[in-house]
Amino acid sequence: MDQNNSLPPYAQGLASPQGAMTPGIPIFSPMMPYGTGLTPQPIQNTSSLSILEEQQRQQQQQQQQQQHQLFHSQTLTTAPLPGATPLYPSPLTPMTPITPATPASESSGIVPQLQNIVSTVNLGCKLDLKTIALRARNAEYNPKRFAAVIMRIREPRTTALIFSSGKMVCTGAKSEEQSRLAARKYARVVQKLGFPAKFLDFKIQNMVGSCDVKFPIRLEGLVLTHQQFSSYEPELFPGLIYRMIKPRIVLLIFVSGKVVLTGAKVRAEIYEAFENIYPILKGFRKTT
Amino acid sequence: MPGGGRCPDCGSTELVEDSHYSQSQLVCSDCGCVVTEGVLTTTFSDEGNLREVTYSRSTGENEQVSRSEQRGLRRVRDLCRVLQLPPTFEDTAVAYYQKAYRHSGIRAARLQKKEVLVGCCVLITCRQRNWPLTMGTICTLLYADLDVFSGTYMQLVKLLGLDVPSLCLAELVKTYCSSFKLFQASPSVPAKYVEDKEKMLSRTLQLVELADETWLVTGRHPLPVITAAAFLAWQSLQPSYRLSCSLARFCKSANVDLPHPASSRLQELLAVLLRMAKQLAWLQVLKLDKRSVVKHIGDLLQHRHTLVRAAFQDGMAEMETQKELQGRGQGEEVGSSSLGLPQGKRPASPALLLPPCMLKPPKRICPTPTVSTVTGDENISDSEIEQYLRTPQEIRDFQRAQAAGQAATSVPNPP
Repeated sequence: MDQNNSLPPYAQGLASPQGAMTPGIPIFSPMMPYGTGLTPQPIQNTSSLSILEEQQRQQQQQQQQQQHQLFHSQTLTTAPLPGATPLYPSPLTPMTPITPATPASESSGIVPQLQNIVSTVNLGCKLDLKTIALRARNAEYNPKRFAAVIMRIREPRTTALIFSSGKMVCTGAKSEEQSRLAARKYARVVQKLGFPAKFLDFKIQNMVGSCDVKFPIRLEGLVLTHQQFSSYEPELFPGLIYRMIKPRIVLLIFVSGKVVLTGAKVRAEIYEAFENIYPILKGFRKTT
Repeated sequence: MPGGGRCPDCGSTELVEDSHYSQSQLVCSDCGCVVTEGVLTTTFSDEGNLREVTYSRSTGENEQVSRSEQRGLRRVRDLCRVLQLPPTFEDTAVAYYQKAYRHSGIRAARLQKKEVLVGCCVLITCRQRNWPLTMGTICTLLYADLDVFSGTYMQLVKLLGLDVPSLCLAELVKTYCSSFKLFQASPSVPAKYVEDKEKMLSRTLQLVELADETWLVTGRHPLPVITAAAFLAWQSLQPSYRLSCSLARFCKSANVDLPHPASSRLQELLAVLLRMAKQLAWLQVLKLDKRSVVKHIGDLLQHRHTLVRAAFQDGMAEMETQKELQGRGQGEEVGSSSLGLPQGKRPASPALLLPPCMLKPPKRICPTPTVSTVTGDENISDSEIEQYLRTPQEIRDFQRAQAAGQAATSVPNPP
């Protein structure tokens, strides 16, 4: 289907300037109006931007509302354009971009929705999968295909994989509490089938969230400036895979502006990762 | 030199322990006489202390290049020669292969994966030198599955910690278009279809740039876009003879494969060109459609920067103005109605410059998630759990059905 059977008939220059762009992230966003009494915030450690702090959030929301109208008229002319000559020259010293700097007062106002939670629990006793498959209505067991019973319940709508060792994986819940409740229901079903099931070591293994920034994103530009974290192969997958280091989250960023975040163990990691990526994405909003 | 030992021949005390192959011996260093010898054979109890070590656990692996690695290196060189790459590319690709082979995960991988690894090393080398090589080409040459290739490629990039630049679109256009067999007359290429290579290349490049600017390239495989652009460029250079030729026929004459998404890319590109044409006064009156706009591609490309800016307004600005107006009052329409002008008299209002996936209506409405008040520690009622358990009657029925099913499968076919 996608074939390029041609042989390049000419020699290429060996030196290849690879996307010569300084990965400079403006330390102070030029959109900060200096004369309005809002002092530019120093670079904060993103761990202190924990969304769980209600007071800080409310403060930010108030500041953001004040600034929103002020920025609107400026965005068209003063936004830093990666690659084009910016009106406000960004600092040329490339920062070590481990933690992208986020001015505290610019919060995105978008909250990622949790889509899937994967958790595990130990039922603490050996199980006979044949008996479970025989006596439970909502179970399927095909030992030739997979060595576990697949059980589903309707509320919360989840699926569980139950292994003969007594370990269980619960997937499909939309919140941590729902996942825990679902796991307890599965344990109760196994108990009623006659096994001495307990509920040991319940642990959330993975959380997946998604959201929409509602503007298109130039993925080619993003992979040039954030080479160390991004992987964009349009021949393989239409989205850009961004591996954030702090927090350790993988983001799938699509040209439509939809973002999928995965790999979190707690909800705050997803929120933090999104707050980190949002200013970066905003930088790629405009074309020339 | 053990104390008290004397050579029986010459009487010297200079006795050394030396081994003759695996047999330990005590030898006089003056006359060479063998004083004592070790035992050549070992007893069963002795052998208990000697353990056989598998090759993979010994150090032999590190001391020589294994046959599998040698085969892989030869394949890398062969692939570079088939692709007619410069000689320095070969050395770099070989170095990558050797580096990858140091890792135990690669060393212990299946032969299929090692075969694909050859292609990955060559691809990375080409990408780093801006040589346009697509994954599709390599998979065809290696008879490999794209899924296996992509897995190995991602693993290799992560393992070696490499920064692989993106495929260079301009170079790919030049290479791909040069492979079209349209530049000389032949039995499959009628005279009217023959085209000048430089003209076609430059026009295709301009069309691909236009597609890139209008969001038709981001997130998509590059080759179908280039095919559609090449087709339009070729058609527009002599539209009177070539408008009747379809995309499939064009690819057949040019002796290239038609990638499946190319037809939808073609439609998208034509829609963009039509929008641009609506901004030119002398084309507005002609009421162009998707076929007739091809005749004017030359003009449109000449003024493409101005036309794109005029034909499309920035998607973001439009969305923000809409939000503001919604904030002021519900149900106010943006555009001509607020200006009081009838729709027909105004020039075509600028369309939104957005990727096609944002312009299409969503396939399914995502329901807004309800706020959940679950705490996780609620009481679970017995009745709720019992709905998931089979009654004894159901169990009996199920077992009977299972037994009947097994009996049916085990009965041999009647003669």
